[in-house]
Amino acid sequence: MLIFGERINGMFTDIGNALRNKDPKPIQHWAVKQQEGGAHYLDVNSGPAIPTEERVEAYEWMVNVIQEVSDLPLVLDSTNYNAIEAGLKVCKRPAIINSCPAEQVKIERVFPMAIQYNAGVIGLTMDKKGIPKDSENRVAFAMELVAAADEYGLRMEDLFIDPLILPVNVAQEHAPEVLESLRQVKMLADPAPRTVLGLSNVSQKSPDRNLINRTYLAMAIACGLDAAIMDANDDDLVDVAATAQILLNKSIYADSYLKVFRSR
Amino acid sequence: MSVALVKERYTSKVGEVVLGATSEQGGTRTSTITVGGDSALPFLHFEGELKNRPVIAMEVNDIVPAWSESIMSQFGDVLNNPAVWAKKCVEEFKADLIYLKLNGADPDGENRSPEDCARIVKEVLAAVGVPLIVVGCENDEKNNEIMAVIAEAATGENLLLGLAEQDNYKSITAAAMVHKHTIIARSPLDINICKQLNILINEMGLPLNKIVIDPMIGGLGFGIEYAYSIMERARLGSLANDKMLSMPMICTVGYESNRCKEANTSAEEFPGWGDLQDRGVLWEAMTASAMLQAGASVLIMRNPAAVRLVQKNIADMMSK
Amino acid sequence: MALTGLEIYKQLPKKNCGECGVPTCLAFAMALASGKAALDTCPYVTAAAKEALDSASAPPIKAIKFGKDSVLGDENVLFRHDKTFYHPTTLLIRVSDALSDADVEAKVQEINGLEFDRVGLHYSIDGVAVVHESGDAARFEKVAGMVAAGTDKSLLLLSSDPAALKAALVPLASRKPLVGEATAENYEAMVNLAKENSVPVILKAEGLDALNDLAEKAQALGYKEFVLDPGSRKPVETLANLTHLRRLAIKKKFRPFGYPVVAYTSNPEPLDEIMEASVYVAKYASAIVLNTSTKAHILPLMTLRQNLYTDPQKPIQVEPKLHTVGDVNENSPFYITTNFSLTYYSVEGEVEATKIPSYILPIDTDGTSVLTAYAAGKFEPEKIAQAMEASGIADKVKHRNIIIPGYVAVISGKLGELTGWKVVVGPRESSGIISFAKSQLG
Repeated sequence: MLIFGERINGMFTDIGNALRNKDPKPIQHWAVKQQEGGAHYLDVNSGPAIPTEERVEAYEWMVNVIQEVSDLPLVLDSTNYNAIEAGLKVCKRPAIINSCPAEQVKIERVFPMAIQYNAGVIGLTMDKKGIPKDSENRVAFAMELVAAADEYGLRMEDLFIDPLILPVNVAQEHAPEVLESLRQVKMLADPAPRTVLGLSNVSQKSPDRNLINRTYLAMAIACGLDAAIMDANDDDLVDVAATAQILLNKSIYADSYLKVFRSR
Repeated sequence: MSVALVKERYTSKVGEVVLGATSEQGGTRTSTITVGGDSALPFLHFEGELKNRPVIAMEVNDIVPAWSESIMSQFGDVLNNPAVWAKKCVEEFKADLIYLKLNGADPDGENRSPEDCARIVKEVLAAVGVPLIVVGCENDEKNNEIMAVIAEAATGENLLLGLAEQDNYKSITAAAMVHKHTIIARSPLDINICKQLNILINEMGLPLNKIVIDPMIGGLGFGIEYAYSIMERARLGSLANDKMLSMPMICTVGYESNRCKEANTSAEEFPGWGDLQDRGVLWEAMTASAMLQAGASVLIMRNPAAVRLVQKNIADMMSK
Repeated sequence: MALTGLEIYKQLPKKNCGECGVPTCLAFAMALASGKAALDTCPYVTAAAKEALDSASAPPIKAIKFGKDSVLGDENVLFRHDKTFYHPTTLLIRVSDALSDADVEAKVQEINGLEFDRVGLHYSIDGVAVVHESGDAARFEKVAGMVAAGTDKSLLLLSSDPAALKAALVPLASRKPLVGEATAENYEAMVNLAKENSVPVILKAEGLDALNDLAEKAQALGYKEFVLDPGSRKPVETLANLTHLRRLAIKKKFRPFGYPVVAYTSNPEPLDEIMEASVYVAKYASAIVLNTSTKAHILPLMTLRQNLYTDPQKPIQVEPKLHTVGDVNENSPFYITTNFSLTYYSVEGEVEATKIPSYILPIDTDGTSVLTAYAAGKFEPEKIAQAMEASGIADKVKHRNIIIPGYVAVISGKLGELTGWKVVVGPRESSGIISFAKSQLG
């Protein structure tokens, strides 16, 4: 179970300010802190904090300042592929591109770039028309992404299918469909693509966010979730990930397994 | 048509552990031995680097052992002198290192003092240039006493000291940390305890590259398959980056195989089993071979004839 | 395992014609993968694709049967801890037709004697490989006949000359021997000969690429009873080839390699040869052809084979009846343990080493060790008392002492009450039995 730390995102005030002021401190603070919490990768997203034309430069800068303090690999998160490419150029370890929907034009842009930079791809089970309601159509989009990976020569383990969870307080019916999608995606290819969720989305604006995150994470891992973009500093949530991995016999039990999961 | 072979992409490798220390490193060994470091399953050269070949430690006791005549006779008159015995193992039988078992410390037997034990260790160190493995008797309390003294007497030698076990690991771990030695972490055929013990030892401050795993094997015909599977799982774990299971493994091949009836019973007693000579040799050598296939890095052996066979088998498996 | 969507999609015409009722080939592939559609509804799918999709649902390694109950292949895992290995490596001893008649007979006799009993199990050698080295077809036929007459074990007839093989095979076809070897040069004659006589045949090529070509050509002859030989005779290369073949068959369902594999030893010294063979037993040979047929050499190898092919889920058990060690008498000590083979024989070995003739009663714990059995309620005083009653131990000894494993000291009181015997708590591990016996039984 891979944890992609979500905190370096311009939507958070401190990161937004850091981006505007070119102040590396808050970004580096969260890089280290998430690594200590148990993150395996760091998601990097400027958000709307800076104007579009500055994003290319911003991603290069963010990657560089993070790599000064952490050797974790990065997940470059943007809809601006030029910004992602600028980041990829300076990444020291193979990164992951976040993200690519099941649209031909974007596939043609993203997959060759992933091959060129030895990067992974998070594939979203949606197209221009948006997110499907049911699992069948989610899986159909996943299949298109799988076929694209096969065509471009991207290793299946480097393709992360994200079946897109929506907030439970407004789109409750999606939660079980996403779980079903996670199960089905594993049957698309052998080796199967990996799966990922933007976990915190499930609990947006609910009062019991932590509980919802934890419960849904355990359910999703049981359905085959391999990675989550999540709060790497919610200790109980990280414990859920560690425990689920043990209960699925994916790593070998020892009494101190929680500690080991973090120490790596 | 060319076939696309399946090559596993492992994310990590077996940890590397150095045994012994030369004079520049604070010891007196003429050479050190490095074990582990493999980035593939045993002997699959096409998949990764088999960095260090498995090594054989030959067993030397501080009191004359009650081994079978066919083994004892190969040593001649050295069995009452550990230093000379060790020298013979290295020079004549080409042992990579020496495993010194201090059975004489046993309070129910000779009850040798810790100082006496340390003196024997020093004598063996003086007699050979290879690294040393030192293990005590069957009495935990006494072992803690002698190991503290031995660790200090041989400060800097980077001995491989045994045994740390789940209910008795602190004293030996502390001694190894203070006096710069490596330790054997033994668990009773249980991969979960094996991992936990490594975590506990590491938490005391001993680095992971100062630990060697003893999974407690069974001899051929007596549960070897349990150790085989545990070791395969541990090896796969280390390649998948399970750091707490990634230490090289050591196997008490000579002890376990020679406990088996098949390694000792004469053809007169069991005509159906064939001659004892070759059977006894193969019982030990094949126990070793199975452990090598499961991922062993250090084999502790007794019978010089079996050692020769295993040396040849290792050479076969390591040739590219 | 069912086919994945991608595997199916690759076999489809990718026309996106929609004639199957599903708008795209991708969607059709997914419908097929989930069993919601049938391949027949696609009007454009090729026969080759159909064949590929059909055979993909067959087992990863075909079971090949020959001789006297020999089964090769039909394995599903790479590691025994993943489930189990099913069909123990078939061991065949080589007999050359260049030997004299007397030597052939002596060798066959020696092979027939390769029967062993240990720890309650019986091992016997599987068969004989008759190898054509004389260069004389008549000699090969004669020696094959001699071997067949001399043993009822499985046979492998090995010659690169189809005519010689035919002469030897036809009279022995009812024994259903494995034959070989078909190579790139002679495969048509060899495979057709095997097909006519309904026997499996070894396909031999130098290296995996050549073996792939040969297997595809041989399959095209409409026969599928094959055993593979990747040609390597250097141990480390053979290990690599055996691993590649098993992985491709199991992980990729690579059909040309979906057959069992035979390995040949190359070390001339018998002890080195057995060491080499141990590697192939551990790593994926379905059959091994050996030279040595000395009992002392074969027993260790067969023991290793038995160990590694034990089902990890089903422990071997010993009969839960009263066992004796040595020349017992009315004063002999009486030990209790479980019927898990490993536990029992560890105890038996140590009791034997005490040199005191003794009784051991293994309790039926479904083959679990002492602690596991106790935790699962299978090592209760009531059960032990019953087993003692049934064993008749009370009439065999005049003392009234039961030695129980140290781990279950807690049952002493109850067991004493139930039986009226004195319960003596023994050591926890069998390794403590000798010193226990020294101090307690002296």
